[in-house]
Amino acid sequence: MSHIHFPVVAVMSMFVGGFLIAIFGAKRRKLSQGIALVTMLFADVLVYSLFSPVILHGEVISYWMGGWKPVEGYAIGIGYEVDQLSLFFAMLICFVLTMSMIYSIRYLEKDSALDHYYTLNLMLGGALLGIVMTGDIFNMFIMIEIMTFTAAALTAFRNHKAISVEAGFKYLVLGSVGSGFILSGVAVLYGVAHTLNMAQLSTVLSQNYNPSTIFAFALMFSGYALKSFLMPFHTPVPDAYSAAPASIGMLHSGSLNKCGIYALIRLTYILFRVMGLPAVQTMMVLIGAVTMFVGVTMALAQHDFKRLLAFHSISQMGYVVTAIGLGTAIGLTGGLFHAINHSMFKGLLFLCAGAVYYAAGTTDLDRLGGLSRKMPWTTCCFIVGAFSISGIPPFNGFASKWMIYQATYQKAVTTGNIGYALVTVIAVVVSVMTLASFIKVTQAVFFGQERPQLSAVREVPALMRVPMVIMSLICVLFGTCYNLVNDFLLYPAVYATLNTHGYVDAMMGKNYAAASGMPFVKYEPVQFSFWNPVTWLVLFVIVLLAVFVVMMTGESDRGRVLANKGEEADGKFATFFSGEKSLPSHVGGSDLFWGFKKDFKKYFKVVQGIHSGIVNDYVLYAVCGLAFITVFMFVFVLGR
Amino acid sequence: MIQDTLMVLFHILVFPGLLFVCVCGLLLAGIDRKVLAHMQKRVGPPIVQPLYDFLKLMGKETIVPQAANRTVFLAAPVIGFAGLVVMMLFIPVFGYGTFNGSADLIVLLYLLTIPAVALIIGGSASGNPYAGIGISREMVTMMAYEFPLIMVFLAVARKVGSVGALSFSMLNIEKWQQVNGSLITHWAMIPAAIAMLLIIPAEVGTQPFDVAEAETEICEGPLVEYSGAPLAMFKLNTAVRMFIMTALFTMLFLGGITTGMVWLDAIILVAICALVTVCTMTLLHGICARLKIEHLFKFYWTVVAALSLLSLALVWCGL
Amino acid sequence: MFKKAIAKSMAKSPWLYHINTGSCNGCDIELVACLTPRYDAERFGFKLTGSPRHADIVVVSGPITSQSKDRLVRTLAQVPQPFCVVSLGSCPRSGNVFKGSYSVEGPLEKYVHVDVSVAGCTPKPEAIIEALYKAAGILAEKREAMTK
Repeated sequence: MSHIHFPVVAVMSMFVGGFLIAIFGAKRRKLSQGIALVTMLFADVLVYSLFSPVILHGEVISYWMGGWKPVEGYAIGIGYEVDQLSLFFAMLICFVLTMSMIYSIRYLEKDSALDHYYTLNLMLGGALLGIVMTGDIFNMFIMIEIMTFTAAALTAFRNHKAISVEAGFKYLVLGSVGSGFILSGVAVLYGVAHTLNMAQLSTVLSQNYNPSTIFAFALMFSGYALKSFLMPFHTPVPDAYSAAPASIGMLHSGSLNKCGIYALIRLTYILFRVMGLPAVQTMMVLIGAVTMFVGVTMALAQHDFKRLLAFHSISQMGYVVTAIGLGTAIGLTGGLFHAINHSMFKGLLFLCAGAVYYAAGTTDLDRLGGLSRKMPWTTCCFIVGAFSISGIPPFNGFASKWMIYQATYQKAVTTGNIGYALVTVIAVVVSVMTLASFIKVTQAVFFGQERPQLSAVREVPALMRVPMVIMSLICVLFGTCYNLVNDFLLYPAVYATLNTHGYVDAMMGKNYAAASGMPFVKYEPVQFSFWNPVTWLVLFVIVLLAVFVVMMTGESDRGRVLANKGEEADGKFATFFSGEKSLPSHVGGSDLFWGFKKDFKKYFKVVQGIHSGIVNDYVLYAVCGLAFITVFMFVFVLGR
Repeated sequence: MIQDTLMVLFHILVFPGLLFVCVCGLLLAGIDRKVLAHMQKRVGPPIVQPLYDFLKLMGKETIVPQAANRTVFLAAPVIGFAGLVVMMLFIPVFGYGTFNGSADLIVLLYLLTIPAVALIIGGSASGNPYAGIGISREMVTMMAYEFPLIMVFLAVARKVGSVGALSFSMLNIEKWQQVNGSLITHWAMIPAAIAMLLIIPAEVGTQPFDVAEAETEICEGPLVEYSGAPLAMFKLNTAVRMFIMTALFTMLFLGGITTGMVWLDAIILVAICALVTVCTMTLLHGICARLKIEHLFKFYWTVVAALSLLSLALVWCGL
Repeated sequence: MFKKAIAKSMAKSPWLYHINTGSCNGCDIELVACLTPRYDAERFGFKLTGSPRHADIVVVSGPITSQSKDRLVRTLAQVPQPFCVVSLGSCPRSGNVFKGSYSVEGPLEKYVHVDVSVAGCTPKPEAIIEALYKAAGILAEKREAMTK
């Protein structure tokens, strides 16, 4: 079987696996898990085997379903097109799905109806792969619908809890609103262009700015922005990510919003090719900056572990959209790198949150504390994840954020617009606030004093630790070897995105793009400034060794290091508490950052008031967002 | 080959690495205490007092409390120290850059967070509620001063005006200053210089911005459970941070002086750093009382941010 | 290698931690006065610290009241070796005017070995400084004894 068929088989096999579990898996836990894992690995093999032809050899796979090839230059069939950008996201999605599945084997052992879970999980996976690998806009919509419904169902999986059902409901309502936007946009596009194939649409819509197309763009942009959960469409996220089981939370933040980002890139760079317009750039950067800042400030006020992670997901998506919205190659590189890094470290953080929930039974920061002694692996992985998301060198979050700062600064210098420099400033401030939130979680959950009711906590089982450790290693690896990542993953993806002619020609036949009069944009390779993580690490290790050597030579000169193993209420090893007995008095969750919260009181009152929790308000915000984008596009693009 | 390796090791361990940084840091800390004493009309401790403090602490026993996470508790100061020393390798000494191809200004901004995070994680790992409050304040202080600091760096980068890969290169900033005069002589950069001078005490953790380590209020904050060698390391970290921040300030705003001989440049650098230390840290320490955390945050996000934003705006308009 | 340097530094940089076990504050004020510009104990390297874990010389003032006795013992247990105890004023030495009271638990010597004791109510700052200086010397001896 030639590798041209692999994309469709991968997607279909996931659906088939899902149906098999639905039929045979009732009450048979091991069978469901077995079928799920086998299907997932099969899809993994298919997707990863495409790495060689697509990325190393630069081939773009195009496949017409049912053999319905274009007739007289008009596409009439559903096309699957996998270029480097699609494969980039497909490999990421497969990886995240596999990790989630391995994790869920032990994590869900106390839950029932696991056949429902694995069916929905496989269908979600199939939908995600379908979104990134399809070349047909209506097919993408179908896959988005499947994704929305399965994700909503999985969010409400633990439906014996009120918050899960509420979260599922909110997700469903807002997801449907988003899908409605997308469908309206697709309908308008079909009315204008009489075709649903993305490659052909790209030639029709190129430079074709009239009210119908711009309205379609606004609708689809809002719909995809809702799928990526940017502001003001981010509202179901805090409830959904915190109510869903951690393996699903990881999928939410690791792959669902990445599909939204993928769709946005396809929309702006390839379908409409509006990325060169300053108006669109400004709009995307504005949305990204607001998302970043409001997301992180809301996160600082949370006192539930997973809800905090959810707001950080929103904030990091703001980073990605800001970078992509710049319209430059380095911006796109930074944005894509940050997207993949985000899946890695945010997935890792969600798995740690799940581990804490599994061990301690709660994720409330006000009720946890001192878990690091009993859960060393989780603590270590969490610290790697926390440092990655905060952008501490040499982890991966720093490498991608550094690229994004360079991108925004270069844009500021080339356009002479100080606004982009201020976006750089906002990005750095958001990064420090991210560090602050994770220090808060570290202090509240892992360090500090242990609470008496948590004395029975134990480390999580090995099968749950394996995905966490793998993802931590990848965080470190991507951070230190970012040049390798750039060469093999990012550069091909960025080149493919900017090279629309190649995309169109692969699907519709040679020279189709040139013949239809699409303008050709040349790609300038990206040049990074100075950061050599390997050198830094080597220097760091040498200095550490030197310090240890000095310490060791003075062993008999130095004072001894004493540590007590046994329980001692008073005496040398008790916590210093101004002479009082050391009672449990953990400074956690809501006790931290008092000064910051006081200074920002008015801001929090407004912003927390906006997040009212009422679905009607949230739908109103979504519609207002659509209205803003539509008006903006009409005024700035058509008005010129 | 062997000579290159030995040269690299010399750079890492002696100059401008480990030994140079420790000696200069302790010297600056001593000068700070001495000048403060004279400001208060008293004699004060000898200039080598920080060295005595360090050696004394090495001789005390280290007690790891029951509630602490032992590995993190003991490793935190060493990691912070290594981070600081490596940072000095990326700051050129008046045109003598050792590892300049490896890190630029934005990277330095992030490397500066490593020792602060080491202090925070160390305090967090000690399991003491006073430490918990202390680290919360330290983190808020960090949020406060990073905002104007990035604007200062962007103003400097824009003024120097390189493009592409060299936008934030430290050696490039030095070279520009050698040709066009120190950045502080350009009047558009003076607000940024003042902003940076105000940021240095918060970064180092001296009064009036040392609310995180408030001695009497929260019993030394994150350091409350530390004793012996790890405490010595943390005190050394503070001293070294003084040197690194003032060296960074000198390189950014007072650069452009070269005598051609590296050892003379180094001596001039230390002298200027001492002067800068006295002008910022000692002066503020002697005059002002400690600020509360909410006032500190407000101060940095209004006054200091306004100064650096002014500089950024002026530089952007081409001045 | 650094043994001699460390032992010498013990005497050159003694850090103080002050415990008030129910004193009238007179001795406490005099102690703080020693660190002011007039008497300037800092020129010998003395420094008040906020945590007993950082302390070399523990200065105790006040008769040991019943309420503060447990806290005193607990705090003293948390000070790392080597350290000296200086009893400040006549109260910890003998109970002073409070001797025989129902809430005063006797001289400091009952709970910990006192290295230097400064009598007076209140002792003069010069006497306090001399006592601290002596304590610093004893500290160096304790360090040498520790490493033998």
